[in-house]
Parts: sequence; C-alpha cells; structure tokens
Amino acid sequence: MIVTLYLSAINKAQSIFDSASPQAEKINRLSYGFLTVAAGVLLLVVVLTVYITIKFRSKENASEPRQITGNRKLEILMVSFPMVLVVIFFFWSLNTMNAINPDRAGQKSDIIITGHQWWWEAVYPGSKVITANEIHLPTGRKLLLQLNSADVIHDWWVPSFGAKMDMIPGMDNFLWVTIDKPGIYEGTCSEFCGEQHAWMRIMVVAQNPADYNKWLLAHTIKTTIPNDSLANKGEVIFMNSSCSSCHSIQGTVAAGMEGPNLTHFASRQTMLSGMMDNNPQNVEKWLTNPQKIKPGAHMPRFIFSKDSVRAITAYLTQLK
Amino acid sequence: MKAINLPEPEKPIPNLSVSNNQGLLQWISSVDHKQIGIMYLWLSVLFLVAAGCEILLVRIQLAVPNNHFLNPEVYNQLFTMHGTTMIFFVAMPAIFGFNTYLVPLMIGANDMAYPRLNAFSFWMTFFGGLLLYFSFLAGGAPDAGWFNYAPLNQYNYSSSPGVDYYCSGLLIAGIGTVTASANFVVTILKYRVNSMSLKQMPLFVWMILINSFLILAAFPSLNAALVMLLFDRQLHAHFFSVQGGGSAILWQHLFWLFGHPEVYIVILPAFGIFSEVFPVYSRKPIFGYTFIIASGMAIALLAFGVWIHHMFATGLGNTVNSFFAASSMLIGIPTGVKIFNWLATMHGGAIRFKVSMMFAIAFLIEFTIGGLTGISFTLVPIDWQLTDTYYVVAHLHFVFIGGTLFGLFSGLFYWFPKMSGRMLDEKLSKWFFWLFVLGFNTTFLVQHALGAMGMARRVYTYPDLPGWGILNLISTIGGFMMAIATGLLVFIIITALKTGEKATRDPWDANTLEWTTSSPPGLKNFDFVIPVKSTRPFRDLKRPDDADWKKTDNNG
Amino acid sequence: MIKLIIGTEAMFFLALIMAFVYFSFSADFRSHQLLSLDIKSTSIFSILLFSSSFTFWRAEACYQKGNVKYLRGWLLLTILLGGIFLFGQGREYLSLLNNHVTISSSIFGTSFFTLTGFHGLHVFAGLIVISIVTGLAFLGDYDKPGSSVIGAVGIYWHFVDIVWLFVFIIVYVVPHF
Repeated sequence: MIVTLYLSAINKAQSIFDSASPQAEKINRLSYGFLTVAAGVLLLVVVLTVYITIKFRSKENASEPRQITGNRKLEILMVSFPMVLVVIFFFWSLNTMNAINPDRAGQKSDIIITGHQWWWEAVYPGSKVITANEIHLPTGRKLLLQLNSADVIHDWWVPSFGAKMDMIPGMDNFLWVTIDKPGIYEGTCSEFCGEQHAWMRIMVVAQNPADYNKWLLAHTIKTTIPNDSLANKGEVIFMNSSCSSCHSIQGTVAAGMEGPNLTHFASRQTMLSGMMDNNPQNVEKWLTNPQKIKPGAHMPRFIFSKDSVRAITAYLTQLK
Repeated sequence: MKAINLPEPEKPIPNLSVSNNQGLLQWISSVDHKQIGIMYLWLSVLFLVAAGCEILLVRIQLAVPNNHFLNPEVYNQLFTMHGTTMIFFVAMPAIFGFNTYLVPLMIGANDMAYPRLNAFSFWMTFFGGLLLYFSFLAGGAPDAGWFNYAPLNQYNYSSSPGVDYYCSGLLIAGIGTVTASANFVVTILKYRVNSMSLKQMPLFVWMILINSFLILAAFPSLNAALVMLLFDRQLHAHFFSVQGGGSAILWQHLFWLFGHPEVYIVILPAFGIFSEVFPVYSRKPIFGYTFIIASGMAIALLAFGVWIHHMFATGLGNTVNSFFAASSMLIGIPTGVKIFNWLATMHGGAIRFKVSMMFAIAFLIEFTIGGLTGISFTLVPIDWQLTDTYYVVAHLHFVFIGGTLFGLFSGLFYWFPKMSGRMLDEKLSKWFFWLFVLGFNTTFLVQHALGAMGMARRVYTYPDLPGWGILNLISTIGGFMMAIATGLLVFIIITALKTGEKATRDPWDANTLEWTTSSPPGLKNFDFVIPVKSTRPFRDLKRPDDADWKKTDNNG
Repeated sequence: MIKLIIGTEAMFFLALIMAFVYFSFSADFRSHQLLSLDIKSTSIFSILLFSSSFTFWRAEACYQKGNVKYLRGWLLLTILLGGIFLFGQGREYLSLLNNHVTISSSIFGTSFFTLTGFHGLHVFAGLIVISIVTGLAFLGDYDKPGSSVIGAVGIYWHFVDIVWLFVFIIVYVVPHF
C-alpha cells in the first residue's frame, strides 16, 4: 500500500487512491479503515511470531517443556474478538455499498456502454450520438452508466471513479458515478475477454457541462470533408469497400454495426482502444495490416494498395 | 473377517528369479499405498516444472511494457494452463500423495480400504493430466483462463479444441479425485487400529477426513458444468449461450460452487500438516485439538455458502451481495484463528529450527497476509475496486503458495526421511528455504500495488504507465528466484535419494504411529501396532511417565 | 462406500436439476413442456421403474433368507422392468426428435435431454451391474447370505429411482400446475 501511495504521489498514474468521484472517495475511506486494522492484525502476528520463535528456541539438552493442551477461555476470546471486527466492518461495508450503488429505481441511463471484443461502444440516449472508445461524460452530475455486452463478458473499470461492473451478454448492468473535476481518466476492461483483452483500455474525457454539451452537439453534425482529392478518393473507397459494412459514419451510407463507429474519428486522441495515439502514421500502419498491430482483432487484413491506404487515411483523419 | 498374519518372506524364493528390484512394471502395477503415494508426489513435481515453465515465459513477456516476446494467442494458453495445472495437477496430486502415503500409517492400517481403487484413482489423475497437455499438440491448449468463463468458452469464441481438452482432462482427473476421496473416508472410518477412537486421530487425518467430504460434495458441480459445456461445444446445446436462451452467468454459479470449496480443499490438508509439524518441533502438544477440528468442520460447511464473493461485480444486486459478504466474513474467522492456535503451540515450547519448521513459521506470516487480503474482498466496495486485478493474483498466490505449498514443503521436509529412508541435506535445504521465501515475496508483494494502481489480470502486455514497468520487472526477477530455488530443491531430493545420510526410524522425536515403522516402512506397514490411548501414542510409549492419557486436564 | 458414491452423484443431479429449474423460468419453456412431453405414457413407464425398486427389495429379502430361486427370479424381474423403462424413454426421445426437439433446438431441449439423459445413463449402468449380479447369482455365487454386494447395488438402484421421482415431478408434473 505504501508503494502504491508513493508511486501515485509522484506521477499521474491513476490508482484506486486517486479518487475523482465521491463513490471512489467512500470506497477509499473504507479501504483505509480496513488497511489500518489489517496492518494491526499482521503486526500482531509478526510480533508474536518473532517473539515466540526467539524466546522459545530450544536450548541444548533442555528438558521437555510443560505440555499444555489448550485453554477454553483463550479460544473463546480468539473467536469473539474477530467477530466484533466482522460485525463492524460488515455494517460499514454495507453502508458504503448501498451509498455507492443504490438501486436505479427506474432512472434512465445517461449513457449506454456496450463492450465488444475489443472496443467500447457508447450510445447517448436522448441524442443521436453513437461513438466508440473515447467516452465523454459531464462532470458534477450523478450519472447512470448502463453496461451491456455484444459478445463475451467484459468489465468496465475506471479506478478513479470507484467500482467496476461486469458487462454480461443478455443482462443490463448499471453503475453510478459522479465525476468531480474535468480531466482524462483511464481504466481498462477487467474481465478476460479473449485475445486482445489487454488492449481494451478505457479513456473517459470528463468535461464540465458546458463543454460536454458543445461536444455532444458537434457530434450530431456531419463532418464536411474539404475539397481534398486524396480524402475524397478515400471516402469513395471507404463507402464502396467492405469498410462501410462494418463501420458507421453518421450522415453517410456507411451504417455497419460490427466495428467501432467512426463518426468524428479524428477527434479522438487514441485509437484501437488506447493502444496507440491517433495520428496518420498509426492509421496507415493499422490499415496496412491490422493483424500485425492488434492480432486477433476482428478486422481482417484487406490487401489495400499503398495508395488506397493513404487515401483512406486522408479521409479518416479529416473526420474531426 | 479375521485377519491372517502371514510372515514376510526373508529370502527370495529359489529358482524363480524373483528379485527385490522394483522395476518400472512393478511401480505401474502397484496397489501399495506407499508406492502410489510416491507416484502422486512425482507426478506433482513433473507438473510443477511444466506449470513453472509456463509462468516463467509469461513473466518474461510481462517484464517490460509493450513487450513482443509472446503473441497474445500463446500467452493466453500459457496463463490458462499455468493455473489449471497448478491447481489440478500439482496441488491436488501432491496432497493426495501425502494423504495416500500417510493416512494408513497414521491410523495403524496396512493399506487403504480399496487398494486397487487407489491405483485407479492415481492413474485417472495421471491420464487426465496427459489429456489436458495433449491439447498443445492437438490444435492449442485451452486459452480462456483457468475458470473458463462463458460465453468466451463457447465454440464460436474459442474455436480451438483447447477448451474441449480442458473439459475432458478435468472430468477424467476428477473421477480420480472423487474415488480417492471416497477411499479415504472409508479407510479413516473403518480401518483405524482398534484402539484408536476418532478423538485420538492425528489432526492431519482429521483434516483429510473433512476434506474428503468436501471433495465429494464439491466436484459434482464442476463435473456438471464441464459436461454442460461439452454439450454446448460439441452438440450445440444452449446451456451457456445467450443467443440460444442460455445463461452465461450459470457457468459462474456452477464453477464457483465448486471453485470456492476447492480452495479449502487445497488448504485444509496444509492445516493438517502444520498441526503435525508444530507440536513435534515445539515439543508440546497442539494447542486446542478439538477447536481445530471444529474450525475445520465449520469451514467445510460454510464453504458452500460463500461462492458469490467471486461474483460481486456481476450485478446480482445488493441484497445477494450482502448475504454472501456476511458469510464470507464469517468463514474468515475459523480459517484465521488457527494461526493463533499454532502460535500458542509454539509458545512455551522448545523450538527446533529444522527446515520443516521454518516453512511452518514462514507460513504463519505469509498466510496471514493472504488471509487479510482475502478478507478485504469480503468488503464488497473494496472488491468492486480490486477484483480482477493483480491484487487478486497477489492474494491467491499468498494463500496458495504461502499456505498450500509451504504446507507441502513443510510436510516434505518432515516426512521425507520416513518415506525414503534418507535425510535431506539440512544446510542446502536452508538455502532453498531462504531463496524460495525471498523469491516468493519479491514476486508477489509488488503485485498488490500493481492491482491498486489499475493493472488488470490476464493481460498479455501493458502500457508504459509510471511504476508499472519497474514493479513488473521486480516481479519477474522474483519469479526466476523461485525457479532457481525449485531447481535446487529437485537437486536436494535427488542427491538425498542417491547418497543421503540414512534415516533412523524416528529422526524428529515425533508423536504419531507412522514414526514407529522403519524408514522406509516395509511392504507390510505393521505386524502389530503400539497401544493408542491418546493423540500422541508414540510419545506415550517413549515417555510413559508423562503420557497424555494419564492426564486429566486434556483441553484437546 | 456406496453411500458416499450416492452422495456425490446426488450433488451432481442436484446441479443438473438446478440448471433445469433455472431455465424453466424462461419464456417458452412451460409451453414446450406441456406440448412436447407425454406425461401419460411416461407415468406408466415411471411406475414400472418404481416397481423395479420393489422387485429388487424383494430380491434382497430373499437373499437374506437364503432363498436362491426367488432371488434369481426377482432379479430378472428387476432387469425386465428397468429395461422397459429405458425402452419407454427411448420411445419418448424418438418422438421428440421426430418433432425436431433436440438438445440443440432450444433451451428446453438442452436441459431436458441432459437431465433425463444422465438419469437414463445411470439406469443403464445400474442394469449392467444388476445383470452381472444376476449372472453370478445363476452361477451360484449368492447361494448363501453374507455378501454386501446385493445390498450395495440395492442402495444404488433405489437412489436411481428416487432421482427419477424428483426429475419426473419437476419435468413432467409441475408444468401442469
């Protein structure tokens, strides 16, 4: 624990102790309380062990020690004391659990996040926005996240926000979070979901309500592609090849549901669920051979020519 | 039926070229519990090496961020096989090896109740393991994790035959496990020497008795799940496929209904071993004999009422979570309080620091750490943060290694002279102890931090986040330390077998019946058994003036 | 020993039954049960199976008394009744398969065939063992009482029948209420 605190103090990595929500804060209070008691118990055991092994080491040719078989009173004490601790922590943890994740009582979800092998889909009910991987959320409000899965079991976890929750096919799961301050919060899929489980990173961009609404509005508007012949060529290839059968770009004929929604793709900071930065070189590398970059990904290797790759890249990088 | 006392032949029967040489065929066809026990132990060593190599490869891949030493397909097979092998083909066979060797000796019997069934059980375990490992050659080992969740385990998400081999290998090995457990129960209940009542049985035997019931009740849940999965994969049934109307979470229920009792199945025998070791090396009786039995029973009963704590993050609802949080916290009490029983056993004693005892003392601290992190998971909100992270990996290794494996090591150093007739080199063994303990703590202490820092488990690589690289590197170095230590152990064992100092019948001045036989025991364990009037019959014989049965203050 | 085996097998059937009950709450399940399953003829075959428990009990009683001829007779009757039960199960399976209800057709098919299939497998295994015992009885192995084999086989056979009682009620009877 000391290592964790030290490391999280000297860098911006987000451990569970870097709470960015009241939910995470409540969990931390419980954690600190437990850690203190646990450290006390461990200390007791260590001290007793060291003391006893030193004090009672066998002396040469000593006679046999007194043969004590037990002590009923001590045994009862040994059980009662932990019982008391159990009761205290049980009720404390129950309290925290109900405070963090109360029943949703018919509340509507603010965002529906669906886990896919190996990317995140985000649908914003009430608006027409569907996006992928980079999840924008407003701060200052208690949000209800709905968590679903399109294939196997995934799990949504942003340590700074608090609890994680499984995404199970056929089930709707829910998580409450109130994000204190704007910022970028990282997390990861936390249920082994196959080959690329490691590269299903979560990036939440938390914005104050004004900026968030601006972002939401911008996402409903179709991007206009400037008159760039390469980008236009790329758009043509995109719509006429298999791209559009798996990917959607709002306002175009591309309406595929298999792969991540690419509307406003270029506005995202990373690609491939946090695997690499979103820049033209990486996009080209990916398009050239997806299986080399993220082996096992469901995007097959299309044998595009170098020109096609550059054209599609030019198109995608214009989708701001 | 009256037993007929046949004397052992003293000379080989002439003209028959029957030699005493125990060739391979003799071992393969043996129904002698001692030979079967030794075969179980060697089997566990074989698979220990296999699973160890698997995880060393994994740790190399994880030593630095964004590593490309292994591709994810191979990595996922390696970590799956590591977990599956360690639990089913290292821990269980090692435990059964000790059980099968020692239980008859400790109760004054000449063999198990069903010797041929005993052999059958061993060979089923052996072939189950082979079948599992054959998957590497047959298209790919299972790669969905050792608990193999649905729907990832379905044929459309795991199309290599690995998962099928996982199911069949475990089903076959499971038959071996269950039959062996039934054998233990009958042996313990019916084959004790006449004078030994239940309340005079060694604690190791008690733990095996309780454990065997646990196995008989828990394994069927796993078998049902495996069979259902095979039906899903091979016959296109719909138990776990959501599109077909099935339920992904049903797998988790069935698996953990087995899985949680399973962890008690691998720790109770270790508790039994420690309950033998502490009294001998402290030269005092165990503190609270009855209490330890009662806590073992409490654990066995509660074991079936806690499985949901593996599923707190699956969205079952706060009511369900609360109930199982309570039961999980409760089960922590009998599990943990025994630490104080063992401390009290040492208190006031005359402690001898043989390697067996050193592992026992180390266990006290390591298992407490593992137990405390386990209890942290019973606090649901903490579980919600830390489940499925490296914090869990740290926890499970502290209890599996710090608990089960240290128990097995302690038992090994304690009973090796009896089983082989040779002493293990004490000095080299101390080196092994320190190297292993150092390596173990190096590997796993840092993983608590990694989990809290956000590193999920079962990831084939990780981004270059601050601190992740260095902690993973430290963990890898620790892993290699353990590997070297394990290599040293194998060396120590083999040299002892070849040229070790000959062991006497009772090298440790111990208390129980197995020490009254020669080292190693002859084919027939006992011609007659010394009188049993307490839990320490051999000591009673050696110290007739201070015999246990003469005392009235038996708090046992 | 046999009781330990019964115990562990009981846990196994418990797991299968729990899965069945769990799925029985899903949408079309009950209608499948009412439409596809023939409670009338299965009841008859079930009664025959329960009778085979009775006949085995009689066989055991005769064995204890040293009444070898009757022992053999009751054993043969047990095999006959158990065999007819399996025949009846086969008939039901065939009609289900002809109606396209298979292990892969629906969640009902999956849970039905698995639960009843494993039960049938246990009946079949039991019949093999009883046949061996019957054969040995005809060869004179059980002319005098004192062996625990027939008692142990009896416990197993009664267990198989009790499991069927539960399975029959849950699978066939309950949907009618």
